[in-house]
Amino acid sequence: MAGLFKKVYDWLLRTFWATEMDVTMIGLQNAGKTSLLRVLSGGEFAIDSIPTVGFNMKRVQRGHVTLKCWDLGGQPRFRPMWERYCRGVNAIVFIVDIADLDLLPVARDELHLLMSQPTLDGIPLLVLGNKSDLPNRITVDELIDVLDLKDIANREVSCYGISAKEETNLEAVVQWLMKFAGR
Amino acid sequence: MSYGKKDEDADSGLVKIDRTQVFQEARLFNSSPIQPRRCRVLLTKIALLLYTGEKFPTTEATTLFFGISKLFQNKDASLRQMVHLVIKELANSAEDTIMVTSTIMKDTGGSTDSIYRPNAIRALCRIIDATTVQSIERVMKTAIVDKNPSVSSSALVSSYHLLPIARDVVKRWQSETQEAAASTKSSGGFSLGFSSSGNLPVNNSTMTQYHAIGLLYQMRMHDRMALVKMVQQFGAAGAVRNPAAIVMLVRLAAQLAEEDPQLRKPMMQLLDGWLRHKSEMVNFEAAKAICDMRDVSDAEVSQAVHVLQMFLSSPRAVTKFAALRILHTIASFKPHVVSVCNQDIEMLISNSNRSIATFAITTLLKTGNEASVDRLMKQISGFMSEITDEFKITIVEAIRTLCLKFPSKQAGMLQFLSGILRDEGGYEFKRAVVESMFDLIKFVPESKEEALAHLCEFIEDCEFTKLAVRILHLLGVEGPKTSQPTKYIRYIYNRVVLENAIVRAAAVTALAKFGVGQKDPEVKRSVEVLLTRCLDDVDDEVRDRAALNLRLMHEEDDELADRFVKNENMFSLPFFEQQLVEYVTSDDKSAFDTPFDISKIPVVTREQADAEDRTKKLTATTPSLKPPKAGPTKAAPSAAEAAASASAAAQKYAQELMQIPEMKEFGAVLKSSPLVELTEAETEYVVGVVKHIFKEHIVLQYEIKNTLPSTILENVSVVATPSEEDELEEVFIVQAEKLETDVPGKVYVAFRKVNGEGSLPISTFSNVLKFTSKEIDPTTNEPEESGYDDEYEVSDFDLAGSDYVIPTFASNFAHVWEQVGAQGEEAEETLQLSGVKSIAEATEQLAKALSLQPLEGTDVPVNQTTHTLKLLGKTVNGGRVVANVRMAYSSKTGVATKITVRSEEEGVAALVVASIA
Repeated sequence: MAGLFKKVYDWLLRTFWATEMDVTMIGLQNAGKTSLLRVLSGGEFAIDSIPTVGFNMKRVQRGHVTLKCWDLGGQPRFRPMWERYCRGVNAIVFIVDIADLDLLPVARDELHLLMSQPTLDGIPLLVLGNKSDLPNRITVDELIDVLDLKDIANREVSCYGISAKEETNLEAVVQWLMKFAGR
Repeated sequence: MSYGKKDEDADSGLVKIDRTQVFQEARLFNSSPIQPRRCRVLLTKIALLLYTGEKFPTTEATTLFFGISKLFQNKDASLRQMVHLVIKELANSAEDTIMVTSTIMKDTGGSTDSIYRPNAIRALCRIIDATTVQSIERVMKTAIVDKNPSVSSSALVSSYHLLPIARDVVKRWQSETQEAAASTKSSGGFSLGFSSSGNLPVNNSTMTQYHAIGLLYQMRMHDRMALVKMVQQFGAAGAVRNPAAIVMLVRLAAQLAEEDPQLRKPMMQLLDGWLRHKSEMVNFEAAKAICDMRDVSDAEVSQAVHVLQMFLSSPRAVTKFAALRILHTIASFKPHVVSVCNQDIEMLISNSNRSIATFAITTLLKTGNEASVDRLMKQISGFMSEITDEFKITIVEAIRTLCLKFPSKQAGMLQFLSGILRDEGGYEFKRAVVESMFDLIKFVPESKEEALAHLCEFIEDCEFTKLAVRILHLLGVEGPKTSQPTKYIRYIYNRVVLENAIVRAAAVTALAKFGVGQKDPEVKRSVEVLLTRCLDDVDDEVRDRAALNLRLMHEEDDELADRFVKNENMFSLPFFEQQLVEYVTSDDKSAFDTPFDISKIPVVTREQADAEDRTKKLTATTPSLKPPKAGPTKAAPSAAEAAASASAAAQKYAQELMQIPEMKEFGAVLKSSPLVELTEAETEYVVGVVKHIFKEHIVLQYEIKNTLPSTILENVSVVATPSEEDELEEVFIVQAEKLETDVPGKVYVAFRKVNGEGSLPISTFSNVLKFTSKEIDPTTNEPEESGYDDEYEVSDFDLAGSDYVIPTFASNFAHVWEQVGAQGEEAEETLQLSGVKSIAEATEQLAKALSLQPLEGTDVPVNQTTHTLKLLGKTVNGGRVVANVRMAYSSKTGVATKITVRSEEEGVAALVVASIA
């Protein structure tokens, strides 16, 4: 009975208080952006996805909120275009492969470069350390240090460790994003 | 928005759309949630701007592009389709379009029958760059073999566009393309009842096959064997259903046959089969292809003609027109084959469609004989007023050619021409008529007086200044030579009174030609009075001309006046043009320091220019409405161009010779022969010779090319030994220092005529090449130190009578024949030309071998069995040479000829005859 009531409530919300929010997902190539988005939108994890040329767009429905997720390609040639897609979004998600230690400095530089853009002032940032299922990874605290997240000011910044493959901690990500719906 | 205004352009007349305004509105794309309807309207506006030629600057285009990319993945199928459409158009002007690749790729795939799939594929191929083509390979391959023709077609056409940027990748899609070409699919059936807006409409077209075959050709373009296989595979009956695809195969087959003589036979068989294909389009294309084939035989053409003949009685006008147009083309080179259709074509003369009627008549004019010309002319004048200028010009051109072909019909034609000259018409049309009359005056002397009278009448009321000026000039040139020159003076002076300054100036010059050198004092006085009146003209140019001419008239000595007013010489125009173009387009700035030197341009007499002009006009069949061409056009230059280039080449030689200091003292070149090959083209050393005749000398110019790789020839000379050593004495030899592989070089050998300038020695020369051959060291690319001396013998050639003769034009053969016969001598020869297959061929060869100009239209034999060829030329010393050649043809023995040559100079007649014996 409660389940039925919940469904009707959801439907009402969806119909009359439907909100859409834009979320941009960025990060270096092979960080797992496309895979994460696929899992978030209810798909199966695929191990051999092809590199994204340009961007993908997917909708993730949670209650009355529709998350429009822009998954941008991470190869160097697409990085200059991140800024354009981050303008005016509700939240930016920066995904890092925490098992690929060599690329971490590059990821830090790219992140700080993007965050210094005046057009993106005040947009909340969520940093996700992906691939927490792999053995030789660093912890979330180490990640915060490596990326100098403490230096990023003027916005709300959070950092989670997740695994798109094992689907760990994904609900927290969605909940964090939902906070900013309609702002 | 403004309605009701009389705007001619639909785009601005219906809705006023401004680029900047649209760009402002484009912020709509960023709003959330998306409003599909409003976005679609906005996208349509952008598309309208783009399609009507508006250009967005790069920054604006990029902003628009990224705005649009926000609209992706909307549920509204029509919006998605529109998005792809606009992205495709923006792809050229926006930056970073590669961003949307992944997203668009999603819309191309899947087995859904969504309406936007073809658009997505087309957009995808526009935004992709060479490095990323590989990533869409799978998508394209599946799309090519998609069961829906629209998707398949769009994938194939997109592959066309990808081919230049990523040839190797696209080439891997061959088997898919092959499959698409062979499949006769249709997607009908399942979406019939419930095709909603989001689904692809039913498409039963077989156009995919056309696109697939086109793409296959692009892929295999450089592999002849693969092309042959393809033509044979798809050319088989029933393999391909789409007529357009077969048309493509027809063209391909024609091209293959053209390029490779060995393929001619199998391809011809295929073409023959296509003549009986059930689609008209294919029939026409095959007929065209057969007619355009190089040296096509009568039998082959008659097949095509037969098919076209059946179409002539088709109820559809366009079919009749197409058939007739091809027949018209055939008629210009094989009139006798088309003549079987004459009856059917005659029915079309009175067709209510004037385009058909015009072609019917011009075709008949070509195929008809002398007898039917009058009747046709009557028919044409009936509807001349009803057709457009363009067709009128076609008819006038046809008649002009006819005039030159049948000079005896000139009276009727002249009447016709003067009739239509009085009709309404634009400049181009009037010009064509006037030019035809000019030609009549020039080449058909009997018509001269009457034609001049018609032209005089025409300028009385002529609105075209250019034409009036040309006619006045002609009156000035021809008028004084007529029996009653005074008649024209009145017409000309009328112009001085009534016209604008340009015409007045031309009229004054024309008038002066009647006065200067005039023997009749009465006429001379009248002209003087008239010219004196012109001195009061308001225009400077008119006064100047009048004053100059009055001065010339008062000159005691006529020589000066002759040089200014009656100069019959003119500059050699092809060479003049070439020199001017070279001068103007010169990259070297210093070239402009000295003004263009006109005195370097050789001068030819009017007679020579006329002779060239006439050949050009007869060989150029229909200069206006271009005949239909199948496939790629042939590179073979027309006879007219060849003639022009030949005369330019001769003058080029003259220039080169003048560069050599020793030859300067020889004077001007009197005649240069065409190049005579002394070796086969495949031999190790290719040698040709050009004979230059000077006043007292003869120079042999050897063109030598060394075809041996990695050898170099040094100190190349030629030992030329004349058989008549007492008549020719070698003066000097100019060696070629060095001959590298495939770089042509020249060796000159000069001889002096022992018997003085008047003599015309004939002789046979034997030639031996002498040189030092050195091998090139492959490591250093330098020739080795020592070489060895070698000799190489090439064929003999003759210096014959015809080498001293230059073709000349005169309008009246009989007159010249009698004149020359009275003072000169005569030689006769009877010859059996067994190798020659027709009168026409014999005519051409004889005129060339004798180096004489055919007169009175005798270069076009009318009768297939007997013909009389009338020829005229001048020797380098200026004496005239006339030849009368009578020919008879029989299929067993070939052409029997009797040549009678008369010459003003002693011994020349025999020499000329000997040059072909």
